[in-house]
Amino acid sequence: MNAPLLQIRNMTTVYPTKHGHVKAVNAINLTLEKGKMLGLVGESGCGKSTVLLSILGLIRAPGQVAEGEVLFKGHDMREASRNDLRTIRGKEISMIFQDPQTTLNPVFPVGEQIRETLRLHNMLGNSRIPWPFNRETSRKEREQVLKVMSEVGIPSPDNRYASFPHQFSGGMQQRALIAIALSCNPALLLADEPTTALDVTIQAQILDLMRQINQEHHTAIILVTHDLGVAAEFCDSIAVMYAGRIVERGSVEQVVENPQHPYTRGLLACRPKITVPKEAVAPIPGNVPDLADLPDSCPFAPRCPMAKEICNDGPVPQIETEAGHFSRCLAHYDFQREIDWTWADRIEIDLHSSKARI
Amino acid sequence: MEATPLNNSDFSSRLIGWRIRLELWRRNLIDLFVNLKKHPLALVGGVVLLIYLITSLLAPVITKTDPNLGDLHVRLTPPVWQEGGSWDYPLGTDAQGRDILTRILFGGRVSLAIGFLSVGISALVGTILGALCGYYRGWLDNIVSRFADLLLAFPYLVFAIGMMAFLGPGFGNLIVALTFKSWVEFFRLVRGTMMSEKTQEYVEAAKVSGQNTFAIIVEEIFPNIFNSVFVLATLRMGFLIIMEASLSFLGLGLPAKIPAWGSMVAVGRDHLLVAWWISTLPGIAILILVLAINLFGEGLRDILDPRLKVE
Amino acid sequence: MRFVKILERILIMIPIVLGVAIIVFLFMRLMPGDPVDIMMGQGGSVSLGEIEKLREEFNLDKPLYVQLGIFLGDLLHGDLGNSYVQKRPVDEIIMGRLPATIELAIGGLIVSLLIAFPIGIISAVKQNSWVDRISMAGAFLGISMPGFWFGIVLLLLFAVNLHWLPVQGRIDNSAALQQVTGFYVLDSLITGNRAALGSSIKHLILPSITLGAPMAAVIARVLRSSMLETLRADYVTLARAKGATEFNVVIKHALRNALIPTITVVGLQVGVLLGGNMIVETIFGWPGLGRTVVSAIFDRDFPLVQGSVMIYAFIFVVTNLIVDIVYTYLNPKIQM
Repeated sequence: MNAPLLQIRNMTTVYPTKHGHVKAVNAINLTLEKGKMLGLVGESGCGKSTVLLSILGLIRAPGQVAEGEVLFKGHDMREASRNDLRTIRGKEISMIFQDPQTTLNPVFPVGEQIRETLRLHNMLGNSRIPWPFNRETSRKEREQVLKVMSEVGIPSPDNRYASFPHQFSGGMQQRALIAIALSCNPALLLADEPTTALDVTIQAQILDLMRQINQEHHTAIILVTHDLGVAAEFCDSIAVMYAGRIVERGSVEQVVENPQHPYTRGLLACRPKITVPKEAVAPIPGNVPDLADLPDSCPFAPRCPMAKEICNDGPVPQIETEAGHFSRCLAHYDFQREIDWTWADRIEIDLHSSKARI
Repeated sequence: MEATPLNNSDFSSRLIGWRIRLELWRRNLIDLFVNLKKHPLALVGGVVLLIYLITSLLAPVITKTDPNLGDLHVRLTPPVWQEGGSWDYPLGTDAQGRDILTRILFGGRVSLAIGFLSVGISALVGTILGALCGYYRGWLDNIVSRFADLLLAFPYLVFAIGMMAFLGPGFGNLIVALTFKSWVEFFRLVRGTMMSEKTQEYVEAAKVSGQNTFAIIVEEIFPNIFNSVFVLATLRMGFLIIMEASLSFLGLGLPAKIPAWGSMVAVGRDHLLVAWWISTLPGIAILILVLAINLFGEGLRDILDPRLKVE
Repeated sequence: MRFVKILERILIMIPIVLGVAIIVFLFMRLMPGDPVDIMMGQGGSVSLGEIEKLREEFNLDKPLYVQLGIFLGDLLHGDLGNSYVQKRPVDEIIMGRLPATIELAIGGLIVSLLIAFPIGIISAVKQNSWVDRISMAGAFLGISMPGFWFGIVLLLLFAVNLHWLPVQGRIDNSAALQQVTGFYVLDSLITGNRAALGSSIKHLILPSITLGAPMAAVIARVLRSSMLETLRADYVTLARAKGATEFNVVIKHALRNALIPTITVVGLQVGVLLGGNMIVETIFGWPGLGRTVVSAIFDRDFPLVQGSVMIYAFIFVVTNLIVDIVYTYLNPKIQM
């Protein structure tokens, strides 16, 4: 069995603030196979973007990844030297961000920004050789950039090469960002809510583009979104995040058709359905908790319709309700808790045994 | 404020309105002082400035010596901490035997007076013109703005020197020379703010409720502008004091018989080898004053109007 | 397209220069005192006839608008009139002294940029470190400090007490420099005169620092604050995510964007450069236009003062134009 492309074990990312240490990401586990798409779903502020930044080691001091392993192709990224990290960034793992307007550098032409990725990694020859000795490399780089630009759907790339970001529309800008991310043909693409800042029609186009990239280049993608429906439609597996914790993960069929965690069920239930008119949308009552003030027990308990006293007692481990389908909810264990349970534990249960509860 | 009352209720309601405003103002001021404590540097600046003000006002009382009368027997006496100095002349004497400390204190009067006056006049002129041009636009705005642009074609000191050259030395002339370019900054600030505030909703609301234009400008818009103007004034005051000193240094400021810091530094040049204190000490007086003003001004800006940050 | 816009800007300069000329003219004619009387103060007593002749010569007997017309007409021919005192054409005097002033101005500019840029960048990158705090304290001091006092203190320290650097002048006469352009440093390079090169540079150091330090203080503060903004921008995070080195990120991505507001401030500081020139030249006995203007003022040599003020204004306007053009290259969102 091939080792997964990306495996995150028990990762915690902490930001010290005036109000105490905020665990933006709290002991999460994720697995991603080559060429698959993972949807990371959750509300704003639950830590989804932080997960992506943590993978690439882009957390700015004084924040830091305090614990855990990030195994990319078997190597722990946390142990990697600065040089190694730089080699991986942009070349093996790329990232695209939410707001293309602010993410593209306003003073450089778009084509040059795409080309920069190629140059940084000497993909088509040694870029450090000064002009005029690098003309061959420059030519090849430019060709490649044009190729990538047309692949992501930027019309007449030859004219657009020298344009500046502010001359592009929102959707075009996002395509440019995707072009930047794709240029070195990475194995993994981290997409942080790539469609949130765009119009609905453009959203669909961008997501289709990403699916295309996934299918043609076998690029694995982690798609961060607050829209469970989007994740359901485009991804192979889904992970649901709440208050810095991954409360449920599994394949898309498992999670959508057989949601285990109350939060996931709440998310699925509060989507308005076209087919059922005039049905009241049922929102999840309550508010997201303050991340600086989190108890060491289930973060969703205050809002959970099924919560019991025992949910506030201590860590809830990952409970594997079916193969590859994990959920952190005591309901699956009949609301029992072993005293020595930690967040890092994984418990297997048999759905059909007496201990199982859905 | 002196709009003719249409009827009693209108007048008394406006009176109440003003009392409320006064109370809010008073609370703002108290807030200001509370905030200042959080900015210790600004507080230090303010205190030093106060010291300067007090010592300048009381200068004739503090030192009984005449700043212009020199005793040639004691010329070029070093300051008290150097060998040969004495407490009679704590900061030494110049080439004509005049006490430096006394001259510094009296020079302070000049600098502070000119500083406050030129900033005050620039602010006043600039604000009024800016308010009128910003609100009414039209031909007035065109003329004044063009004129302001033209003035900006001159580097500041060059312009001031040129003016002093033509006007000749004198207190009034100095003020004119300094304010002639300085009002432009206030003008631009107020005009810009006025143009953007004019389109805000509360102005529309006031118009709809029947207030006349002048009342709108003074009562509604002005309080919003006042903070920025005040901060700008504090920040520019130091600059103007240095300008005055520079003009005095070149001999283009006040007539020679009035002690001014800049001219003290200039005269001291001839004796740099033997009497470093004649030039250096007045300069330090300027430095500390401007430092204090700037510290105070920056603290004020942080509290009142952080928008002005990148000048 | 861009070329046309640049041409447009140059054309707009003309009414400005014209306006400057008119203002200068008005000031001279409207100031108190009769120029002829003042000129008479130079020599001994003269006859009434002589006075009338002088009046005629200087066109002072004609109505104001005619004088203005003559003035502007002369101006277009580059004729700035004759100096009252030196009795030779003003433009000749000015051109003779201008290279010294420009050389000093360039020196000041170089010093200020050399100080301001490293400080501004490093303070922003290492925000709140001791480097940052000390630099910003120093910059604050720099903007509160009277320039002329700073020059005198430098003079006192380095020239008078330590004897490391010369006190006055542009060059030691013993170096026997042959003048080609009027720019001593350039000339000594051209004529291969090593002694002159060393001497001229040594003489440039203190004046340039006096001129440049206050400017550097302002520029460093602005640069730091814009760098702080750009370093927090999303495109910087993207640059890191692309695998760029920190150096690359700071210099190529952040600085390039931070330059945009900074260059505007640099343009404004050029005004300080031109004005501060007068003071610095006076302190260090630098034989440039600034010192000439100051002594011309005391001599009541109005044509010379007037011509010099106009030249200063002209240089300022041109420099601002250059800064504006540079700005449009730096900021692609503004196409003039």
